[in-house]
Amino acid sequence: MGIPLVPGLLRDHLNELAERDERVDGRGRLEGRPVEVEVNPIERAEGSARVRMGDTIVYAGVKFQIMTPYSDRPDQGGLMTSAEIRPIAGRNWEPGPPSEESIELGRVVDRGIRESGCIDVNGLCILPGEKAWQVIIDLHAISDDGNLFDAFALAAIVALRNATLPAERFDVGEDERLELSCTPIMCSYHKVGGRFVYDANGEEELGGDERIHITLGDDGHVHSLQKGLRGAFTAEEFDDIMQAARARRDELMELVESLEQD
Amino acid sequence: MGDSGDVGQLVIPGDSLGEIGERRAGHGVLRRNGELIATRLGHLQEKGGELSVHPVHTTYTPRPGDLIVGYVEGMRSNIWFIDIGGPFNAILPMSLAAGKVDFGATREYMDVGSAVLCRVQEVDENHGAVVTMKGMGLRKLNSGFIDRVPPHLLSRVVGVEGIMLKSIKEASDCRMVVGQNGRIWIEGDASGTRLARAALSVIREAGHRPDIESRVRGILEA
Amino acid sequence: MGGYGDVQMLNEDGTRMDGRRPDELRKIEIEAGVVPVADGSARVQWGSNLAIAAVYGPMEAHPRKISRQDRCVLDVRYNMAPFSVTDRIRPGFNRRSREIGKVTANALESVVQLELYPRSKIRVEIEIMCAEAGTRCVGLTAASVALADAGIPMTDMVVSVASGKVNGVVILDLNKEEDNYGDADLPMGILPNSGELVFLQMDGNLSPEDFQEAWDYNMGAAKEIHEIMVAALAARYGGDT
Repeated sequence: MGIPLVPGLLRDHLNELAERDERVDGRGRLEGRPVEVEVNPIERAEGSARVRMGDTIVYAGVKFQIMTPYSDRPDQGGLMTSAEIRPIAGRNWEPGPPSEESIELGRVVDRGIRESGCIDVNGLCILPGEKAWQVIIDLHAISDDGNLFDAFALAAIVALRNATLPAERFDVGEDERLELSCTPIMCSYHKVGGRFVYDANGEEELGGDERIHITLGDDGHVHSLQKGLRGAFTAEEFDDIMQAARARRDELMELVESLEQD
Repeated sequence: MGDSGDVGQLVIPGDSLGEIGERRAGHGVLRRNGELIATRLGHLQEKGGELSVHPVHTTYTPRPGDLIVGYVEGMRSNIWFIDIGGPFNAILPMSLAAGKVDFGATREYMDVGSAVLCRVQEVDENHGAVVTMKGMGLRKLNSGFIDRVPPHLLSRVVGVEGIMLKSIKEASDCRMVVGQNGRIWIEGDASGTRLARAALSVIREAGHRPDIESRVRGILEA
Repeated sequence: MGGYGDVQMLNEDGTRMDGRRPDELRKIEIEAGVVPVADGSARVQWGSNLAIAAVYGPMEAHPRKISRQDRCVLDVRYNMAPFSVTDRIRPGFNRRSREIGKVTANALESVVQLELYPRSKIRVEIEIMCAEAGTRCVGLTAASVALADAGIPMTDMVVSVASGKVNGVVILDLNKEEDNYGDADLPMGILPNSGELVFLQMDGNLSPEDFQEAWDYNMGAAKEIHEIMVAALAARYGGDT
């Protein structure tokens, strides 16, 4: 990825705003941007979602393939998450092999889903030792204005919740909905101007420091944590974020449930 | 901008504007096979027999004498490459920096990401631009904030005889410099900067409207 | 292509499997300004195809080696999302996409006034989010609207559409089955105001009469598609005078 210009003035400005507990776009410290979610916009995918957070727009698509189970795990299927931030997403995203950023994005989202156990890989078995489902989640960014993490994670879980196993196409039975045992939802906090804010936009990401990604499932279960970039934070700061994440997770869960398609 | 011509219908590239007749082709209009066609997305304008398109977007094209806000994008031992927000970077030779710079010391003087207030010295026939920091007020910008307004709306920011800019500066109590490349430097306290930015935001959204002055006044007086 | 001529693709009343008449387009919806961070953009929903195109620039031409002294270069990328097709496409280098990017760039370079921005480049990013035959045409059409949306000066818009033939009948705007089982595919990139062509490919087998009919279908459809493109831009910018 090309190094974005970081006008030195931006950081100073963000610091100044932070001192007054303000953000560039006027939001509260823990306030998110407006969220729009579209379920199954992609006909060719077995499950899909489009998520918009402010000016960040992403798609997630779920595809199923038949795989041969690994010999040491004959009853298990597979799960793979791949993130690609194509140059369409921004002036500073360049073509070429996946950047460190996109790889980290894919892995962080993958961890949140995998560690939650929402997909039972044993349940993906079709014929032990011979055939099992592989679930592939592809994350595709169209417009990057910050916090691709949460947008990707939300799109992924909505796509999974509305995905159908294409058994008929592969001649292994009847189509059925993919069942998830819980709903992991990610909330990301960036340190901007010396304090953690929720749902950083592009400017804040550019002028900010370390970040923390928290994935929470049902009943407040913590499924994954990830800290990115250089910097340190205190236990108090973490508690504060954790509390905020729990509340936000509930709000997003309500949104996700309201979108259910039969 | 003056805006004395009527701004009319929306045209898109390729639209036929009729036979040439007595008319001349202005900005965004091409003569072809006896007729005039639009080459830009924008609103048709006819003034004094000249047909032109008032575009919805403009890219900054440097002209000698322009005051601009640039960002250092790279450097060599004796020059800096300045992002001026146009189709290509400008160069700032060591000899035209604000003070004395030793050969090879360009990075210490101004590193990548620095913001500078400079002036376009010359533009060669290949549209390569050279900028200078030698001049009154030209300097590296060490504080403040840089906002953006599309170049074709800058006249709205300044206003007739500078009235609009003066109002914004006074209401926000900020120092402001308008770069011809659509970048505007603002320096003041946080609430003043926010007010100035709010005014610029209104101009970005609605700068083409005839009531823009009262809209901005509404923001400044709120 | 070919060899499947026996598959019945037309109903008794002459309509196609999806109910269209031979000279009927699939449903097309276009919206401009859909990628907020880009200089210009467009989304085209065409049948089940979904393409999103975004434009950045003009900007400094990096890397140096692609920069030209006398004019701007178009840096065009065409890419299909992994989930855009029935059998997932692995991300990475794809020859077909590379070729389509190149012919799309050639088509667009024929209308963009490149000489106005020497030593610069304009990036055109085309992403196919969902595919259903004719993606190169959908992509080129979307790119054309995105360029206009970005304010890039052009001598005309580019409208792209394909025709073909099934069961002896020439048809406009092939869907997936018609593309797979039909006898020919003739995609064209047309300049609606001058009638000139900037993009032309053909695969299959067409008699001179059929070729002319397919050609005429495309030219006729270009007007209809152009109107939809104009409406998309007017929806975003018009009515504010």
